[in-house]
Amino acid sequence: MKKFYYMAVLLTFLAAILAGCGSGGTGDRAEQSENKTGTLQFTANGEDFVRQGFTSKDGWDVSFNHVYVNLADITAYQSDPPYDAHAGGEVQAATKTIIPGAHTVDLAAGDQNALPILVSEKEVPVGHYNAISWQMLKASEGPAQGYSLVIAGAAVKNGKTVNFTLKNEKEYKYTGGEFIGDQRKGIVQEGGNTDLEMTFHFDHIFGDAGTPADDELNVGAPGFAPFAGLAADGNVEINMAGLKEKLSPEDYQKLETMLTTLGHVGEGHCYCEVL
Amino acid sequence: MKATVTVKYFEEGEVKDGELMMNGMRSFIFLAAIIFLFSLPAAAFGHGVNIEYQTTKAVEFTASYDTGEPVSNGQVTIYSPDDPSTPWKTGQCDEKGRFTFTPDPSMQGTWDIQVRKAGHGGMIHVNVDGEEAVAGSTGYTTTQIVLMVACVVWGLIGTALFFKRRKN
Repeated sequence: MKKFYYMAVLLTFLAAILAGCGSGGTGDRAEQSENKTGTLQFTANGEDFVRQGFTSKDGWDVSFNHVYVNLADITAYQSDPPYDAHAGGEVQAATKTIIPGAHTVDLAAGDQNALPILVSEKEVPVGHYNAISWQMLKASEGPAQGYSLVIAGAAVKNGKTVNFTLKNEKEYKYTGGEFIGDQRKGIVQEGGNTDLEMTFHFDHIFGDAGTPADDELNVGAPGFAPFAGLAADGNVEINMAGLKEKLSPEDYQKLETMLTTLGHVGEGHCYCEVL
Repeated sequence: MKATVTVKYFEEGEVKDGELMMNGMRSFIFLAAIIFLFSLPAAAFGHGVNIEYQTTKAVEFTASYDTGEPVSNGQVTIYSPDDPSTPWKTGQCDEKGRFTFTPDPSMQGTWDIQVRKAGHGGMIHVNVDGEEAVAGSTGYTTTQIVLMVACVVWGLIGTALFFKRRKN
C-alpha cells in the first residue's frame, strides 16, 4: 500500500514539473549585450512642408526662412513594452540613452531637398530604440533666445505678401513610440550607424490645402489668415502672449491645441505634456 | 488625426477529420483491396485533383482613426521577429481598414505591424508564441493545468487501488 502512495506523490511531482516546463520560455527578443555598441544619430525634420513650403488651408502660399526649435533632454529608449503614445505616460525601458544639453536647430536649413537636420550622435548599446522623448524649451542663447520655437517666413495670397515671425515662449515635452515611415529606424547593430527622428508637422498649425477642408487636421488648424490679419505694412512679429491678446479666443485655442500635436515620430503621433 | 489599430485574432481553415470504422479483419482486407484498385487508375488518368489541407492561425486587424473612421486602403508593413529591419510582407487594408495575414509559425516572438495613410500612421505589436499565443489563450493558467494533471493522475491511482483492494 505504501508503495502506491509513494508512486502517487512521485507522479504528481512529475506532472507538475512537466507542466511547468511547458509554460516557460517566452523569450521575446534576443537579449542584447551591453558590450556591443553602434552609433545612434538624432535628427530633427520639418519635412517638405518646411523645406519646400505649402499652401495653407485658407489659400496662403507659405514659405519658411527659418524654423528654430530648441531641443533638450533628448532621450532614446529600448522600451518594453513598446510605448503607446495614445495612452501616454512614462516610457518603460531598461536601456535608454540621453543627449545632454540643449540644441537649437533650424529646420529650414538647406535647400528644398535637404536631409533632416543632424542634432547629435552617440555611441550606444546595440538594440532596438523604439521610443524617443524630447523637450522643447526656451533657448537661453542663440537665434531663438527666449523661445522654444520661432517660425519665420513669408506668405503670399492674391499678390499680397505677409512676412511673419511667430515666437512661442511655451515649453513642451513630446514622447513618441516607434518611428512610422518608409524605413524602420532605431535598430542599432554592432559597429553600425542608424538614426532616430524627431519630426515636426507644421501643417497642423496652418492647415493644408491639399487635404479636404472637413478633414480633422484642417478643422483643428488656425490656418494662416488669423496671423495675416495681425500684419501691419505686410509684417507681423508676435509671441504667444501677443497672440493671446490679439487673436480671437477660438483661433488662439486652436493654436494652443495644435502646438501640442507638433511633435511626431515620422507619421506617428507623440504624447505631449505642456511644461 | 491619429491612427489607432485594434487587433483581433481568429482561426482559419478549421477542418474536422471524419472517422472510418471497420469491424473484423475481413472487412479491413476488403476495404484495403478496394482502395488499392481505385488508386492505380487514378495515377494513370493524370486529371485527378489532389487536395491537401492544413489548419493555420491568422491575424486580422482593423485600423481606424481617432474619429472611428476606418483607414481605408491604408498601407500595411509587417515585420517578423526574425528580421525586424526588413518588411516580411507589405499590403493594403480594405475599405474598412481590415487586413489579414498568417504569421509563419516557425518565427515566434513579436510581429510588428505598421499602418499608414496620408502622413498619419500607427504600429501594433502582436506576440506570436506558438499555439497558445496565436489562439489568444487556452484559458488555463499554469497552476490550473498542474492541478488538472494532478487530479487525473490521482484518479488513475485511486482506480488502481480500488481494483487491487477488490482482488485482495
